[in-house]
Amino acid sequence: MSPYSYGRPALKGSVDVQLQTAFSDGNWQTVVRLAAKRAATLKDPYYEAVKICAESQLDGTAKKCGLLVAVDELIKNKKTPDIDTIELYEWACRDFLGYEVEYADTLGPLRARWAKAYPGSSLALQCLQACLENWDLVSAQQISTSLDKTYANTADRRYMFWNITLTFLLSISPQCTNASRKVYSMLAVRQLERAADLTENAAKLESTDRGLLTEEEICLYYRVLLSHGTKEEFISRLKSPKLGATSQLKAGRKVLLCESLDALQTWGEWDLIYNLCREALTLGLEGATTPFFLCDLQLWRKFASAASKVTDSESALGEVQALLKRYIDIKDKASEMYKKNLSLALLETTFRLPAATLNPNHDNAGLSPRVVQIGLFLDQYFERLSAFDDVKSYVAELGFEEVKTLMETVLPKIPDENADKGRQTVLKALECKLRYLLSTCPQTLSPQPSVVDGQIQDKAFQCRLCNNPASLPCETCLKKLVVDAANTYRQIAGDKELLGSIPRMDKDPRLDLALVMGTSLLKLSGLRPRSSEASQSLWQDVEPGLFLQAVLLLDTQLKETPGDTELRLLLVQLYLLLGCASYAHQLWTPLDVKRTIQDSLSPLFFDRISTLSPGLFQGTRPLMEPLRSFYSHTLSDKSPVRIWDAFSAGSYTSILDMTEFDGKLRRSCTLMMTLVEERRAIRCYGGKIDCEIEDHPLTENINDETTLVDKTDYGPFPNLESLHGPPIHEYLRLGPGLSNERSHLAFLSEQYLDLLAYKPPKDYKPSRNTNDVALRDREYTLETLSRLSNSLTDFLHHPSTPSRLTAGETSYYTILSLLAAALLVALSTPRSSSDPVPQTLSSLTQSIKSAFASLQTTTPLIPTPQKEEGKKKPLPEASCIATLPEMPTLACIRATALAIRHSAGFVLALDEQDRKGGLHRDVLAQMKVLHELGGKGVGEVKAAVQTVKAGLGEAGWLDRVLDLVFGEEEEEETEEGDEVTRAVEEVVGGRAGAEEWAGRVVESWREGVKGWGMVRME
Amino acid sequence: MANFRRFRPDDLNKLSKCNLDPFTETYELSFYLQYYAKWPSLFQVAEDQHGNIIGYIMGKLESSPDVYRFSEHYLPWHAHITAVTVAPEARRLGIGKLLTEQLEVAADANDAWFVDLFVRVSNHKAITFYKNMGYSVFRVVKDYYGEHSTDPTLLSEDAYDMRKPMKRDVKKEHVREDGEKHEVDPSDVW
Ligand SMILES: CC(C)(COP(=O)(O)OP(=O)(O)OC[C@H]1O[C@@H](n2cnc3c(N)ncnc32)[C@H](O)[C@@H]1OP(=O)(O)O)[C@@H](O)C(=O)NCCC(=O)NCCS
Repeated sequence: MSPYSYGRPALKGSVDVQLQTAFSDGNWQTVVRLAAKRAATLKDPYYEAVKICAESQLDGTAKKCGLLVAVDELIKNKKTPDIDTIELYEWACRDFLGYEVEYADTLGPLRARWAKAYPGSSLALQCLQACLENWDLVSAQQISTSLDKTYANTADRRYMFWNITLTFLLSISPQCTNASRKVYSMLAVRQLERAADLTENAAKLESTDRGLLTEEEICLYYRVLLSHGTKEEFISRLKSPKLGATSQLKAGRKVLLCESLDALQTWGEWDLIYNLCREALTLGLEGATTPFFLCDLQLWRKFASAASKVTDSESALGEVQALLKRYIDIKDKASEMYKKNLSLALLETTFRLPAATLNPNHDNAGLSPRVVQIGLFLDQYFERLSAFDDVKSYVAELGFEEVKTLMETVLPKIPDENADKGRQTVLKALECKLRYLLSTCPQTLSPQPSVVDGQIQDKAFQCRLCNNPASLPCETCLKKLVVDAANTYRQIAGDKELLGSIPRMDKDPRLDLALVMGTSLLKLSGLRPRSSEASQSLWQDVEPGLFLQAVLLLDTQLKETPGDTELRLLLVQLYLLLGCASYAHQLWTPLDVKRTIQDSLSPLFFDRISTLSPGLFQGTRPLMEPLRSFYSHTLSDKSPVRIWDAFSAGSYTSILDMTEFDGKLRRSCTLMMTLVEERRAIRCYGGKIDCEIEDHPLTENINDETTLVDKTDYGPFPNLESLHGPPIHEYLRLGPGLSNERSHLAFLSEQYLDLLAYKPPKDYKPSRNTNDVALRDREYTLETLSRLSNSLTDFLHHPSTPSRLTAGETSYYTILSLLAAALLVALSTPRSSSDPVPQTLSSLTQSIKSAFASLQTTTPLIPTPQKEEGKKKPLPEASCIATLPEMPTLACIRATALAIRHSAGFVLALDEQDRKGGLHRDVLAQMKVLHELGGKGVGEVKAAVQTVKAGLGEAGWLDRVLDLVFGEEEEEETEEGDEVTRAVEEVVGGRAGAEEWAGRVVESWREGVKGWGMVRME
Repeated sequence: MANFRRFRPDDLNKLSKCNLDPFTETYELSFYLQYYAKWPSLFQVAEDQHGNIIGYIMGKLESSPDVYRFSEHYLPWHAHITAVTVAPEARRLGIGKLLTEQLEVAADANDAWFVDLFVRVSNHKAITFYKNMGYSVFRVVKDYYGEHSTDPTLLSEDAYDMRKPMKRDVKKEHVREDGEKHEVDPSDVW
């Protein structure tokens, strides 16, 4: 640990032992006494500082003020204090930093003053470190300038580049005034330009020269150029013989190439991209780099895609192919990884060739070169776990004839004659995946007339694969797919030899088959992405039997392959959707999402969790504690984590990236989600919320202008869908994912609730003039209401907001914005009884009433599903399980009702407190109406919870669930539909095999409702 | 399907394919960033076409702290593999090997004596992987790991400290044939 970083500093060497001991023992009274004596006798101001610091360690506000005043004085008098004094003050101020003391206004400038006076001292470096660790960029930049001057042209090059890096950081930081931003930008560019010129022109660069030498220095230059220079400067340097991308590659440095290709792509500089890729890839063949150094798939893709966009694309693509061929000729020397990259590059180039080149005569359109290439690729790689993902996007690009040929002719020929059963099964599983993929591709459909043989058609298309009327996806094909996949599944399960060979395979083929069956069943059930437009109730969209079959089937598979993350995550989402939060949590826990990966992965479980199942928060371990402490721990310092390490190692691009990463982490939607979910849960059970959300250290720099970033990682989901439709996770979420808009609305709504809940602290002693205080409180309340009402309205009116919220959330935030506006009017209307209350108040209350009414009616607490045409098995009338997945909406109704009630209560209470006789009569009347409305609203929620609880308490649920899944036992079976059910039944081992599962589902429902039963409804 | 490149902090939001695998440890943010800050070129990743990280290696170059200079366990200038992992779906394609080789190139370029690493004695897959690349056991660190990866009844597990000599070690002074027989305590490794 560095000496200044808030361990108690050692007093300077000349101090006598007695005082030293008292200080290191923390014997503050004694220190104060001794230091005062020494100050008087020795006339050294240092002792005065020791005294002030010791005093600040004693209780009492006045003592602390002494410290702040002393620091202030040091800054004002322009003298340079000695470093020991600065360290002493910095230590004493440690608890006030960021509150009473802004480092950048106080200790930072003192440090800078000192370092400028003694730049040659080794302590100047510590001053730099101190300023950086307190993220005072202005002072740090100043110090670095002095250091650079002092150490110019020494072998330690860092001083020069620290200065440049800091000048650049400052130029892009909010700490920089707008006036000086330009100056710093220019300064950074100029210094680097000069260095770059030096490098270009010098025959040989010594480490004492001020040119660009290391990879980090060169990359820093390009980063700064990208940000502050012109495109032309960037491009011309990129081509230069010494500092260009190619010369860096020859030195084994790839970073510059990668970064500049990205930049060129955003500028649409295809010619340049093409040339750069060609040069780079030629290097490997000529021995200028190791042969496969640049054989990344991305480079080949960029090369091919640039070639297809340049003017003479035909010959350019020819060149790509020629180069690729030279690599393929030597691929035996490459590792598997690069061999595969080359095969994929071949696929990529084939798909980028213009159709005319590919198939000049248009004969045999099906067996096109594209299909041939896919066939060749699969021939080699069909057994690899990633085979499907590798070819997926290409298959989705094929035309219908090509698809047909691929599936009917090419695929069946892939296993050679003596392929064993294992390999054949793997291929079969792959085929099922491809069939599913195709069900999501529009080229498998053709439009059909809306009237056929005088009959109006409800399906707009005909499926070209099965010739049945269809929409996307084709139900007939999906049903057949489920049945076929189930057959293969059962074959595996019944074959000892096959089962025995599974451990030697890349992946258990049953897993793939289960995923295909599961997702097909989900689609067949009618599941749609739960966007804001989706109708409210899950069961209004979805046929329960098929949906539950999917869950059951996937759950059965998880028992076979418990280690599979994709499947587990899929099930976590499905159980959340089903309202089985406690069971979803059991499945989530073994994934062990902890520490760093929480920011990107925890939304997959925790988003909206307090509204689905507040009871989860009642467990013995605080549910979201690990997440909260991750942020508190990681973001406790103002500076990016480990930033000094990057400075001292001279990793300049790391400094830039770490700074950017830190900025995003502080603006994470997941962070906001964590704070909000916890607060909502605490409120459900009447717990105490530690501090107002606006005062929370983690929201310190978040205001309306901040863009909050969603970093949710959907990577670990299985995804069989094509790019023509939404990815699977959108079907599975409780609603739209995290977003800037929703996070802000949540933040603002919490601030509003904080305002309603505000009570002066108990030990708060009103000043003599109580009226003054009341007046100030009132003013503050009005200001806050006005701000919140404006901000909420603004965010609700963002064009993108409606698509980021569920219908329930939209109502909740809308009503909150109306309430804030209503309260503002209510509290600012003068009491004078003669004037009528402004019209706005009554129209606001009217809007609140109708918005609340529509929230309640569009989401009936106990929905009664109607039997729809084409749907076979609606839920039993008024079944209470219909409500279970709708708990988040119920939670919205509850929260809204309570907000209405508490808002009105807030006004009424103010009226009572006000000694001078309260508010306007009409205002009070309106508020009483709202108060009652809110009360009635929660009452209804309470009753709904009771109904569900009572319903679930009845006996016979196990059978009811199983009936939903398999149909009632005595029910007549219709043909094709039940072929599917029968197939599922056989995979899961029938009703008997599903009993234990049904038990778990019901148990989890009951647990969820139990948690809801304890939620406060007042 | 893969690209090799230097790690960047945003990759931490794309680690799920590697880190949800129980054999891969997830660390605190400061741990990853420490490596990225100090040895950025020794922190390399492989990514798939969707930007998911499907493999990474994290390493460092150092000697033992000076205070141990006269200890028999003092380690001269060497490279250390702190973590190497490949997502299950991308294994056996040579990604792990390529990542390790890149680190070895850097070790040679920086004139290191050897590359070393710790591995659980029960992690046979990884041990085979290292042995096939020329690493051998140098010593056994007793009870190095706080819990056992496969047997929950055991409270600890030994580690192999494995090494591969680099070009500088012409006489192969820093490896031994019978490393399995040399046992040390966790307090002897720094
Ligand atoms: C160990 C690990 C990194 C190997 O990564 P990988 O990319 O699959 O390995 P490679 O494909 O580069 O394998 C190179 C060679 O190592 C050997 N090898 C790798 N995995 C092996 C296995 N499961 N069984 C036997 N040998 C294996 C082989 O000789 C292989 O060459 P080959 O495929 O030509 O036969 C990977 O399995 C992993 O991430 N495991 C979990 C994390 C872990 O244990 N890390 C090590 C902690 S110290």
